[in-house]
Order: sequence, then structure tokens, then C-alpha cells
Amino acid sequence: MKKYISIFLMRLKMETQYRGAALGGILCQMFFGLVYIALYRAFYAGKPQDFPVSSLVTYVWLQQAFFRMLLAFDSELGEKIRTGGIAYDLCRPMNFYGYYYARSAAQKLMGSLLRAIPMLLFAMLLPDGWCISAPASLPALLISLLALMTGLLCICALDNITMGVTMRTIDPKGMQAMLNLLMMTFSGNILPLTLFPDSWQKVITLLPYAQLLDAPIRLYTGEWALSQAPRVLLIQLFWLAALTGLGLFIWQRNQKHLVVQGG
Amino acid sequence: MSYISVRDLSKSFTVRKKREKGHLLREKTQIQALQNISFDIEQGELVGYIGPNGAGKSTTVKILSGILTPDSGSAAVGGMIPWKERKKHVKRIGVVFGQRSQLWWDVPIIDSYSLLRDIYRIPESDYQKRLSELTDALDLGHLLRTPLRLLSLGQRMRAELCGSLLHSPELLFLDEPTIGLDAVSKLALRDFLKEENEKKGTTILLTTHDMEDIAALCQRVMVLGHGKKLFDGALPQLLSRYDTLRTVHVRYDGGINLPALPDTCLIEQDGDGHKITYAPEKLPTTQLLSLLQSAGNIRELTAQPQNIDHLIAAMYKEMDL
Repeated sequence: MKKYISIFLMRLKMETQYRGAALGGILCQMFFGLVYIALYRAFYAGKPQDFPVSSLVTYVWLQQAFFRMLLAFDSELGEKIRTGGIAYDLCRPMNFYGYYYARSAAQKLMGSLLRAIPMLLFAMLLPDGWCISAPASLPALLISLLALMTGLLCICALDNITMGVTMRTIDPKGMQAMLNLLMMTFSGNILPLTLFPDSWQKVITLLPYAQLLDAPIRLYTGEWALSQAPRVLLIQLFWLAALTGLGLFIWQRNQKHLVVQGG
Repeated sequence: MSYISVRDLSKSFTVRKKREKGHLLREKTQIQALQNISFDIEQGELVGYIGPNGAGKSTTVKILSGILTPDSGSAAVGGMIPWKERKKHVKRIGVVFGQRSQLWWDVPIIDSYSLLRDIYRIPESDYQKRLSELTDALDLGHLLRTPLRLLSLGQRMRAELCGSLLHSPELLFLDEPTIGLDAVSKLALRDFLKEENEKKGTTILLTTHDMEDIAALCQRVMVLGHGKKLFDGALPQLLSRYDTLRTVHVRYDGGINLPALPDTCLIEQDGDGHKITYAPEKLPTTQLLSLLQSAGNIRELTAQPQNIDHLIAAMYKEMDL
């Protein structure tokens, strides 16, 4: 286990080197956050909804703050698959899947922390009606953090499935573009999942994409009461196990049919 | 049983080519990268593995290091089948792929080494000792805190080699380790490898196109071509078959022309002198010398051994590679 932790720590450290990228990301996400909020406030001014606007604003800010968790891609692995550099990773006494799992978890964690902390501070300082609200309660905050971490592990497992397929197709772009559309839609990044019709929500809140940010955010805002937390965590854990299992299966099968590109 | 024992190993790849005009499907061809290769290597041997590009050398190395699974045949390294017991097997081996990088691009190389220490579970004291030994031998001490991306090619190659040897592997695969190195680095690397082999008893399989590497290091060479093993034995034995020509450079005192020489000699102008290539089997050296002397006063005469690259080229040509 120590080796995977070392990889995780090293990737964390490496991610802190990309501070310029983080700054760019923060500015971009702030812009998107403000635009979305202005849009929803305009809708609410026309026709108020059941869902309180302050919760909606909080939802938007949390989605934007942790955007990096969804869309961080280990380009080095993609490059290694394309050029055959994975040959080296395969001659290490470690699980190849675990190696990239640890890397991607570190990248997503540090990448989102670097962006989320300044962004949430900014969102707290905004005037009423635009600012992020405090969590429903302290237990709600803690349980949402736990759910967020499980969500992080789920997205790593999802990414590893994409990479597993990439090992066959060599180039990840087509598949990624398709999956990213699904992810952006069903993770609540484009339109908060709470605004989808109730009948839709019954299904989409069960999908793996809803476990990444939507579930933790709803626990934070208190839309889902603490009594619902065990059910949410169970769904998350189910997906975590299923996605990791599928990813491991694909990677292990790939290993038998591997072709190293570039001689 | 030998330390490495390979029997009838075969591996093929499918190559898809661009669709031809008027054809519905892409053309697929099977490339036989390895065809029934067999060999044995004992512990402590330093074996050179040569052959033209695309002969299957790297494929062999990748199979023996557990990365690729062969189509058929068997291989055992120290009693283990590399691709079946991959994790256990790779703990004991070190691999250097000359054209790839194992160290992390954006971080100082010492951090990459610490990571390798954790991956191979090297005890801290062993690690420190080995690291200082390797940094001394490879002259890396002042580079440890530099990110890999800022190193020159030669420095990087040395850093890569150090990374592959940190866990003191008993078996080392080197896939073109001297690619792109300058003369000094090359010589240093050779000395270093020789010492690893002699002092530590590390078994080394060296793949290279640099024949000087082979001549300096390997007692034994294996030649591979089109996926088949063509030769396995000592280098002089291999070369003697092709080493049939000798070359002399001759320069006379001003104004004297070369005497008439038999047709079997190849004469080339070389500055203000001449380069004569002849076969001692057909024209004994004493006879050539007396012919040359009879023409006048020789200012300078140098004999050169046949260039090893030319010999290998002649060999590849004869073997139809």
C-alpha cells in the first residue's frame, strides 16, 4: 500500500507546480458561476420555484469550485498509451491499475483544492443572493465531505475505464468527448439535477455521475436530510465497487493483448 | 536448467494498412516478430543481442520482462514465467528502454528515485548506499535536484540507468542504452556496465546497434533477423567469416604514382594518398608491400582493421536481412 501512497503524494506535489493553470481555472469558473447565477436569478424573478434560490446559488458555486474533479485528465497516461511509454509502468512490481488510480486521485484532489479554496472564499464574500450559504449543519458538512471523497474515488474509477478502452483505441479523444457530455449533463454541472423534472430525478440521481458532486452538494445544502445519508453513501459505494471492478477487469484483459506502440 | 531458458518462442503482430483505392476493407497483415526462438543464458553472462531494425530484439526483451505475452512457446527466468508471474518476476529485473523515459518529467530526479525506492520496497539504508554508489559511478551527484526535463540527453540516459539499477536487479535488460550518447558518456557507461557485470554478477542482455558496445562488452552475441535466430556464439567467431578484407593507406614522396596492382584490389584516392582494399587470401600482404615499395619511396603507410559496422552490414546482406 505504501507504494500507492507514495505515488499519490508525489502526484499531489507535482500538481502544486501548476499554479498558473489553477489561476486560469479559477477565473474561468468564477465567470461561469456568476453567469449561471445571474441566469437563475432572472428565471426566479419571472417565476419563483419551490427550490429556494439560495440553495441553487450554493449548488452552482460548489459545482464550479470542484469542476476540476470532473475534468482533470491524466494526459501523461494518454501520451504513454499513444507512444508506448507504458512499457515501463508494466515492468514495475505493482498493480498497473492501482498506479494510475493513485495518480489520478492525487491530480483531482490537489487540482480541485487549489481551485476550490480561493473560489469558495470569493463566493462567501459576495453580497446576499449571490453568495454561497453555510452548510445545513455541522454533521451535514462532515457527511457531505465524506460523500465528496467517495465521489472523487468514483470519478477516478470512471476515468480509468475510459483509459482502459483507450488502450484498445489508442486515442482517447472521441470517447472522452462523448463521455464528457454525459458527465457534464448528469453530474448537474450544466443544469443542477434538482431542476430536472421529478420523474427524471428518480432515475438520474441513481446514475454514477450523480454520485460525484450532486449527492455531496445535496447533503451539504440539507436538501437531503441526514437520515438519507446512509442511503446516499450506499449508492455511492455500490458504484465505486462496480466501476472499480469493471475497470480492473478491462485493464487486466488488456494486459494479455497488449501491443507496445512505437517499437 | 539455465537461468534464462527460452524455447520456441513466437509472437506476431497485426498491422493495419491504409485502405487501397477501390477496396472496401483495410488490409491487415500479420508480422511475425519472433519465430521459434530458443536460447539459454546462464547467470552472470553478458550477452549482446543484435540484428537489423525490426528483427524482433525489443519484442524478445518485452516478453522476457513480462510486458508482452507470446503467442506460443515457453520462457523461464530463474524458474518463473515472466508474463504469468509478472509482479514477482519484475522485482528482480531492471529494464532500460533507450528511447523511453521512466522518470517523472516535471519533478527532480531524486523524487523519482524515492518513488522507485517505495515501489521496490528497498530498505532505506540499502537505498542510500546504492544511490551514492550509482551517483558516483554515473556522475549524477550534482543533478539529483534538477527536474528531468532540464537534463541533456546524455545526462538523462545516465539518470535512467541509475533508476533501473536502484533495486540491485539480478538481471538487466538494456534496450539500446547508448542511443544518442557522446563518446565520453558512452565509454563511461560501458565501464560501468562491465563493472556491474563482473563485481555484482548481474546478468545482462544488451540490445544495441552500436557494434563498438558489443565488441567492448560481450563475450557472446546472438544475431536475430526476421524473427529468427541466425547466430549464437563469440563475436570473433562471427566476424571471422566476414572479416576477409584489409585496408592500407599509402602516401609516397611527392609526384610518385601508384604502381599497377592486381584487379582484385580496390583503389580509392584519399587526400594526397591512396586507400587500397585487398583480400589477403588472394593477394598476400608481403606481395602487396613489395609491389608498393618497388614504385618508390613510401612516406607513410597505415594498416586499418575492417570497420566492424561494415562487417555486420556485409553479414546482414549475406543473410538476406
